Amino acid sequence: MKFVATRGALAAALLSLSTFGASAQECIAPANPGGGWDFTCRQVGKTMQDLGLIDSTMQVVNLAGGGGGVAFAEVVNKRGDDNDLIVAASTATATRLAQGAYPGNSMDQVRWLATIGADYGVIAVAADSEVTDLTGLLDQIKNDPTSVSIAGGSAVGGWDHLKVLIAANAYGIDDVRSVKYIAFDGGGEAVTQLLAGSVQAFTGDISEAKGFVDSGDIRVLAVLSPERLPGEFAAFPTAREQGVDAIGANWRGFYAPGGMSDEAYNEWVSKIADLYASDAWKETMAANGLAPLDLQGDAFQEFVTNSVAQIQSISKEIGIIK
Amino acid sequence: MDLLSNLGDGFAIALTWQNLLLALLGCFLGTVMGALPGLGPSNGVAILIPLAFTLGLGATPSLILLTSVYYGAMYGGRISSILLNIPGDEPAMMTCLDGHPMAKKGLAGEALSLSGIASFVGAFFATWGLILLAPQLVKIALLFGPAEYFALFALAFMTLGGVSSTNQAKSAFAAALGLGLATIGVDTQTGVPRFTFGEVHLYDGLDFLVAIVGLFALSEVFIFLENRHGGNADGSKLKIGKLYPPMSMIKQCIPTMLRTSFLGFLAGVLPGAGASLGSFISYSMEKRLVDKEGTFGTGDPRGVAAPEAGNNAAAGGALVPMLALGVPGSGTTAVLLAVLLSLNITPGPLLFTQNPDVVWGLIAALFIANFMLLAMNIPMVGLFTRVLMVPSRILMPIVAMVSFVGIYGISGSSFDLMVMIGFGVMGWVLRKFDVPLVPIILGTLLGNAMENNLRRAVTIDNGDWWTLVDTPLALSLWAIAIIGFVLPLIIGRKVKAGMHAKRDDEGSISD
Amino acid sequence: MSDRIFGVVGLLLAIGYVFAALAIEESFLSDAVGPKAFPLLLAAVLGISSLVIVLRPDAEPDWPSLGRLVEIAAAVVVMMLYAQMLPVAGFVLATAFAAGYLAWRLGSGLIEAVLTGIGTSVGIYVIFHLVLGLSLAKGPWGF
Repeated sequence: MKFVATRGALAAALLSLSTFGASAQECIAPANPGGGWDFTCRQVGKTMQDLGLIDSTMQVVNLAGGGGGVAFAEVVNKRGDDNDLIVAASTATATRLAQGAYPGNSMDQVRWLATIGADYGVIAVAADSEVTDLTGLLDQIKNDPTSVSIAGGSAVGGWDHLKVLIAANAYGIDDVRSVKYIAFDGGGEAVTQLLAGSVQAFTGDISEAKGFVDSGDIRVLAVLSPERLPGEFAAFPTAREQGVDAIGANWRGFYAPGGMSDEAYNEWVSKIADLYASDAWKETMAANGLAPLDLQGDAFQEFVTNSVAQIQSISKEIGIIK
Repeated sequence: MDLLSNLGDGFAIALTWQNLLLALLGCFLGTVMGALPGLGPSNGVAILIPLAFTLGLGATPSLILLTSVYYGAMYGGRISSILLNIPGDEPAMMTCLDGHPMAKKGLAGEALSLSGIASFVGAFFATWGLILLAPQLVKIALLFGPAEYFALFALAFMTLGGVSSTNQAKSAFAAALGLGLATIGVDTQTGVPRFTFGEVHLYDGLDFLVAIVGLFALSEVFIFLENRHGGNADGSKLKIGKLYPPMSMIKQCIPTMLRTSFLGFLAGVLPGAGASLGSFISYSMEKRLVDKEGTFGTGDPRGVAAPEAGNNAAAGGALVPMLALGVPGSGTTAVLLAVLLSLNITPGPLLFTQNPDVVWGLIAALFIANFMLLAMNIPMVGLFTRVLMVPSRILMPIVAMVSFVGIYGISGSSFDLMVMIGFGVMGWVLRKFDVPLVPIILGTLLGNAMENNLRRAVTIDNGDWWTLVDTPLALSLWAIAIIGFVLPLIIGRKVKAGMHAKRDDEGSISD
Repeated sequence: MSDRIFGVVGLLLAIGYVFAALAIEESFLSDAVGPKAFPLLLAAVLGISSLVIVLRPDAEPDWPSLGRLVEIAAAVVVMMLYAQMLPVAGFVLATAFAAGYLAWRLGSGLIEAVLTGIGTSVGIYVIFHLVLGLSLAKGPWGF
C-alpha cells in the first residue's frame, strides 16, 4: 500500500490537509500489528518524525507471513531498488535466514542498515501458575515434556521457539525436540492463550510481555540476559542467576533493498544513527525494556553475518537442522 | 454511578465541534467505502490513517475519525448488496441473499431502510455491550482455547447447508473449495510453502478481497453479458417502490434484530471470528429458527435484518478484545490496533485504567457515529435507489472498473487482477451450476484460523485428536454443529421439495 | 449431464489437491499435525461431495448459446489485457478503453460507450486517487 500525494481541485478541503511527498518513506513490518517488528517500524517512524529526521509520516505496511519470508521475498523480487523503503528485522529474521527458511533467499540479497537496540527474551507463566522459577518449569519439562505447552509468536523453529530450546539445552535436557512449542500469530495472541489456560508457559520478548506484567496477569520466570536489566525491569531474575546459562538477545534493526543506492543507504544509516543517539530514543528504550546495542552500516552487516553463522551452529548443536 | 459519570466524561470529550465534524466526515467516507466493492472496512480505515496523522490529530480525535469510518463501512456494505447483488464488503455478503431478491420485487427502498434500522439496532446494543460487559466479556474470550475455536469454525461450516443452496453436496463442495484456497501460501505454523508452485505472489496466500470481488462483482458482469439479449438484463425494469417499510414489517423483524444483535456481538467478541462470522451465524441461526415457510433467500425482510444487525453488532463486539486484550478480532481492528500503538497507547488489560479518556471518548464517539449514520442513511435511501435507474449497460462497466481499481489501488499488483478475473470466471461457472458462493468466501476467510487452531489444539494435547471434544464448551459447540448439519438432512427431503416448487414459481424473478 | 461432468472435474481437482498436498516439503521441526493433514482432510470432503454430485445430479443448467459464450470469453480477454496494460498505458487510458468496451458490448451505442468509458475512468480517478489518495497505475503520462 502506497499513499501518494493528492492533487487537483476536487475535495480541496481534504487536499489542503495532505502534505505527502510523492515518495513517502515506507517501513515494512513483516508481521501483523502488535508484534515486535510492528513496534520497531511504528516507534522508529514516529520518533524520526518527532525529531525532524523525516519530513512526512513513515508509512508502516504490515506484510505478514512466513515468519518474515513473505516480506523478504517481496523486497528482493519486487522492490529491489526502492530507495525509500526499510524493513524491520530482528534476530528472528537472522534465524530464518540461517535455517534456510526463506526459500531461495539469503542474507546478502539485502543491505543491512543498523540496529536500534536489543530486546531480551523472557519466559513467563500465568500469575496463578504453581511454577515460581525457571528451574521449576524446566524440571517439569525434563520429567514429562508432554505436560508443558509453551506458546510463542513465531513459527515452529523460529526465534521464540529457539530461545526455549537454548534454555532447555543449557539445563541439560538432551532431546530438545520433545519440548512442546505452540506457534501463534504474534506475541499478543500467545499471551492471551496463556491467560486462557490453554498453554502453560510463554516465550517472547520483554516488549511483548510488559503490558501483562504491569497488570499482574503474568509472571516472568526469567530474562535471558547476561545480567539484570536496568530500571523497572530489575525485578526480573535472569536465567543465569538461576543456574541456567542461557542468553537470548533479540536485536532489532532494519534492512533495505539490495539495490538501494549508496547515497540513500548512507542517508538511512546516518538517520538511524541520529535516532539512536537522541534522548527521545533512550526514553523509548527504557520504557520498553530495550537494552543498548549500537551497530551501523558495515559493522552491522558484519554482525548479522556472524549472527547467522552462530544461529546455524546453535541449530545444528541442538539438532534441528542438519 | 461510576459508569454514567465515565460515560458523561466521554461525551464531554467527544462533543466538541472538531470531533463532531470528524465523526461526520468518517461516517460519510465510511459509508462510501463500504458501498464500493473492493474497499472494505479494513482498507477504509487503513486508507484514512495518513489523513488522521497529517491532520495532526491527537489520540482520541484520530480514534473517533477512524471508528466512524469503521461503523460507516459496516452500514455502507449493505447498499451494493441490496441494489446490485454485489457485497460491498465481506460481512455484507449475507445481505445479498435476501436483500437483492427484495430489490427485485420492487422493495429496494424498504430493504435499504430496514437494513439501516437493523444496522443501528445491532451497533447500538453492541456499544452498550461494550460498556457494560467489556471486562466480563474478556473472560468469555478466554474460555476459547484452540479446540473451542476449531469447534466454532466447524459449526459455522456445518450449519451452511441450505443457507444459499438447496443442494447440501454443493454447499460442502464450495466450503471445501474455499478452505482449500485458504491453504495456498506459506504455512504459518511451520513456514513451509504450500500449493504455491514457486510463485512468490502466492506466498502470502490469496487475498479474500480478490476472491470476493471476483466471485461476486465480475461474475455479475458476465451474467449481464450473457443475458444481454435475454430481455431481463435491463436493470431499469426494477421498480423502486416505496422508500420506507411499513410498521408491520419493522415489527415483524424486531425479535430477529434483537436475537441477532446478541449473537453477532458474541461472535465479534471472539478474536479471530469477526464480523463476517457474526453476520453469517446470525443469518443461518435465524433461518433455522423462524424460516418455517422457506421464504429465506427469496426476499424475506427478516433475512435482511438478521445479517445487518449481526454484522454491526459484531463490529462493536470486536472492539472488546482489541481494547481489553490488545488482540485484534478482525482485519479492521488489527488496523485500529496499529493506530493505537503508533499513538503510544498500548491496548491491554490496563487500558481502561490508564487511558480512561481514550476509552470513554471512543465509546461516546461510537454512540454519536451510530446516530449520525442512522440520520444520514435513512434520508439517503431515495438517493441510493436512484442507482437502480441507471441502465445496466452503463452501471455494469462502472461496477467492473471500480472492482479492478479497489484491488489494484491496494495491492498495486497485476497478478492480483489476473487472479480476480479467474475468480470471476469461476464465479460465473459455479453460479451456472447453482453452487453457492458464500461458503467459498467463508472458507477463504476462516480457513487459516481454522487450520491453525486445529493444529495448535492437537499439538497441545500431544497429538491426541480427542482433545477437540474434551471441554464442555467445545462439546456443546459440536452438538449444535451436528444438529445443524443432520437436522436438514433428515427433514431435508420435505423442505427441499417445497423449496424447489417455490424456486420454480419464482424462477422468472431470481436468476 | 452437466452436473456429472462438474462432479468428475471436482473429483479430479480433489485428486490433484491430494498429490500437491503430499508433495509439500515438511520442515525439519514440525508440529504434531503437520502441514499436510488439513489439506488431505479437505480433499476428502471435496472428493465426497463431488461424488455425491456425480451420483445425484441436479437439473440441467441453462447454458447460453455459443455466441454468448464467445461474448463472455472476449470480455475475459479484454479484462486480462486491461490488467496487463494498466502499468504500461496508465490508469485513465486503460480504464476508459475497458469500460467503453464493456458498455458497448452491454448494448450502448458507440458514442454512449465512449462517453461511459471516459466518464467512468475520470470519475474513478477523481474519487479514488484525488479524494482517497490511493495510488493508481501511473503510465507514461502520470495518470
